[in-house]
Amino acid sequence: MWSYTLRRVLVTIPTVWAVTTVCYLLLHITPGGPFDGERKVSAAVLANLQAKYHLDMPLWQQYLYYMKSLLQGDLGASFRYADWSVNELVAHALPVSLTIGGSSLIISLVLGVVLGIVAALRQNSPIDYLVMLISNMGSAFPSFIIGPVLVLVFSILLKWLPSGGWDDFAVSYMVLPVALLTFINVSTIGRVMRGSLIEIMNSNFIRTARAKGLPMRTIVFRHALKPALMPVVTLLAPLAISSITSAVVTESIFSLPGLGKLIVNGAANRDYTLVLGLVVLVTFMTVLFNLLVDLAYALLDPKIRY
Amino acid sequence: MKQQNVLSVIAASVALALAVPGAALAAKVPAGVKLAATQELVRSNGSEPESLDPMVVEGVPANIITHDLFEGLTSTDNEGKLHPGVAESWKQTSPTTWVFHLRKNAKWSDGSSITADDFVYGIRRLVDPKLAAPYAGTFGIFFANGQDIVDGKKPLTAMGVKALDKSTLEVTTAFPVSYLPELMSNAQLGPAPKAVIDKYGKDWTKPGKMVSNGPFVLKEWQVNSKVVIAKNAQYWDAKNVQLTKVSFLPIEDQTADVKLYQSGQTDMTYEIPPGTFAKLKSDMPKDLKTSTILGLRYYSLNNKLPMFKDVRVRKALSMVIDRDLMAQKITADGQLPSYSVIVKGVNGAKPTTYDWATWPMAKRVAEAKKLLAAAGVKPGTTLNLSYNTSDYHKKMAIFVASEWKTKLGLNTSMDNSEFKVFLKKRHDGDYQVARNGWLADYNDATSFLALVQCGNTQNDNFNCNKKAEDLIEQGNMSTDPVKRTQLLTQATKMIMDDYPLIPVLQYTLPRLVKPYVGGYSLKNPVDRYRSKELYIIQH
Repeated sequence: MWSYTLRRVLVTIPTVWAVTTVCYLLLHITPGGPFDGERKVSAAVLANLQAKYHLDMPLWQQYLYYMKSLLQGDLGASFRYADWSVNELVAHALPVSLTIGGSSLIISLVLGVVLGIVAALRQNSPIDYLVMLISNMGSAFPSFIIGPVLVLVFSILLKWLPSGGWDDFAVSYMVLPVALLTFINVSTIGRVMRGSLIEIMNSNFIRTARAKGLPMRTIVFRHALKPALMPVVTLLAPLAISSITSAVVTESIFSLPGLGKLIVNGAANRDYTLVLGLVVLVTFMTVLFNLLVDLAYALLDPKIRY
Repeated sequence: MKQQNVLSVIAASVALALAVPGAALAAKVPAGVKLAATQELVRSNGSEPESLDPMVVEGVPANIITHDLFEGLTSTDNEGKLHPGVAESWKQTSPTTWVFHLRKNAKWSDGSSITADDFVYGIRRLVDPKLAAPYAGTFGIFFANGQDIVDGKKPLTAMGVKALDKSTLEVTTAFPVSYLPELMSNAQLGPAPKAVIDKYGKDWTKPGKMVSNGPFVLKEWQVNSKVVIAKNAQYWDAKNVQLTKVSFLPIEDQTADVKLYQSGQTDMTYEIPPGTFAKLKSDMPKDLKTSTILGLRYYSLNNKLPMFKDVRVRKALSMVIDRDLMAQKITADGQLPSYSVIVKGVNGAKPTTYDWATWPMAKRVAEAKKLLAAAGVKPGTTLNLSYNTSDYHKKMAIFVASEWKTKLGLNTSMDNSEFKVFLKKRHDGDYQVARNGWLADYNDATSFLALVQCGNTQNDNFNCNKKAEDLIEQGNMSTDPVKRTQLLTQATKMIMDDYPLIPVLQYTLPRLVKPYVGGYSLKNPVDRYRSKELYIIQH
């Protein structure tokens, strides 16, 4: 398993290089530059700005300059946030996104699995319909509808929680965004868990276990749960990525200083270094989460060994 | 001009310059108003400031904060009136020379005195090509050698600013600039703490490192979360600063902005969402504050294109757009119809208008049809209208297209692009008709005339009227404010009669402000509300 892990980690390097290079080229061929604004800067000021950010060099030299800095762990200076380096911006935003996205993922996983199990075991019962109703609502209503409704009820009408913003990891500011992300994630996890468990419960080895007279609890938790979790585990990597690095709508609704906001602002402002820095980060995290998922498969399925 | 006339004009200018109120700018708390025990304000501030370096900032949100942190030679109050800042007095000693006398008790937040050298360093820093400040060109052109320094042709030491002694600063302008005292209220042209900048480099703007000279000092800066400033005990006029703490929240989503306000987390919104003006006005009449500002919404016509070479076509397109209807029913947020590149309230030129602006619409349409026919443009011709993705701009564009369709029979193809893509098209002249907008940098007609001057960086219409250009040049060289206004107004009329662009609306800025926030004026022409003048009323 260690050699497999090492191999996967090594594969990350060409992956990050390829993604960064493609993204680098895409950014530079996109019309509009970082210094295009409603108010056009004069040719002299533009030349000074380009020289300051090395944009006056030929593209290939800029690329080599960027890759050299990247190898040294320097993501460069942000074009949009002139007083900050991309490293500093990521260092500020990552803990926020990890806290919001991470806690919502853990809560969604626990809730989604429990609701999925309950619904699967009571298939076609009122409780199953209720779970499915919640799941479908979570999928059908977009976050930009649920979010403002949460704000309306809990912030404006009841005045229990702040409607947005961020105050040094104060829990009250996290409740609504975590609730929104959880609601969306739980609907996906719950539905997949339910479907998967129903399928497993109808399989031959469960029928055998039942025939042997094993109690339901043992059948579910000892035999059915592990294989039923496989599709949920598969889901976790994309869910983690979307909850942590690209919860753009949630961050916008609740004005959170997370990575999603940086990515959107970076792209809109043609902040080349910021976008590339975040692309590197997201690529690393994607590879990491996928690796963790693959390792989790081995724990859940004895047929899988690395 | 004869020598005697020059002297009398200088004398008049000096008298005018010295006519500024002697009293310092302060939070004017009316008699009988009881102040709240806690003087803390939370302002929603649009977007994250791109910098807190006063010379580097460009956008409105960043400018709002840096103008609380730093103070220039002069200062403007929340009604846009000029007051002494670090300079307690000034005089114009020749058409292009000004002398500013700094107050002795002006200090940096670390307790050190502010000297004329701090201003020399700050102003030179703005135009330093190494700093690459976006406003280097905008403000640099006013100073002797400023443009050449920005272009890298002359050294920084050539800049038209000199410390005569520790508390006397001499400014030499490239041409007579009668509004220089107002220009000097911009923090971009203020002092900079050299020792701190040398010590920390780019990081000097971070909390704990920044030294500033305004009514407030930087306490906290969490990117995309908040900037917190606190009252500066070293500020020369600290006794008149009521607020002890101001938090600026970068809320980009206008709906989230209003929600934060409604839930009591902020005391002021930055803007309001499009289409909510009428509802907010009826729901929260005491909170909704609307001020008319020095800004123009217009459509650029690409004067380079053969189709728009004929002034009759440009005129016809402008004539049939019903600005009143657009203001009342389409944008419906209190904006004013506009027929000139100069908006109401601008100093240095009067807004011009067109004869047809008062005609009945039927007469305007008939005349426009005649003009188009004479120019050989047939009904059914298709125009291309470019705008950037925004519901507001889309609504306006659809209205304009429908005016052209229903009144002139012209078709319009809508070209909607992402903001930066759109800007590139517009700046490169890759468009026929394009949405445009402008907010004044300073209250003078030249800030708007830049939009229509030959070869100006801001001229996206690519028009040029040489005669008008001469008048603007003469106006700028004149030291007589009355004559200057006449010349610039005449130039404006001449340019507007060429129809290089289609002015439509003058900006208003509606926002929600809690009734307990005192000092908020509806007469602020450049939407720059200094926290120094605001206070919290007991509630």
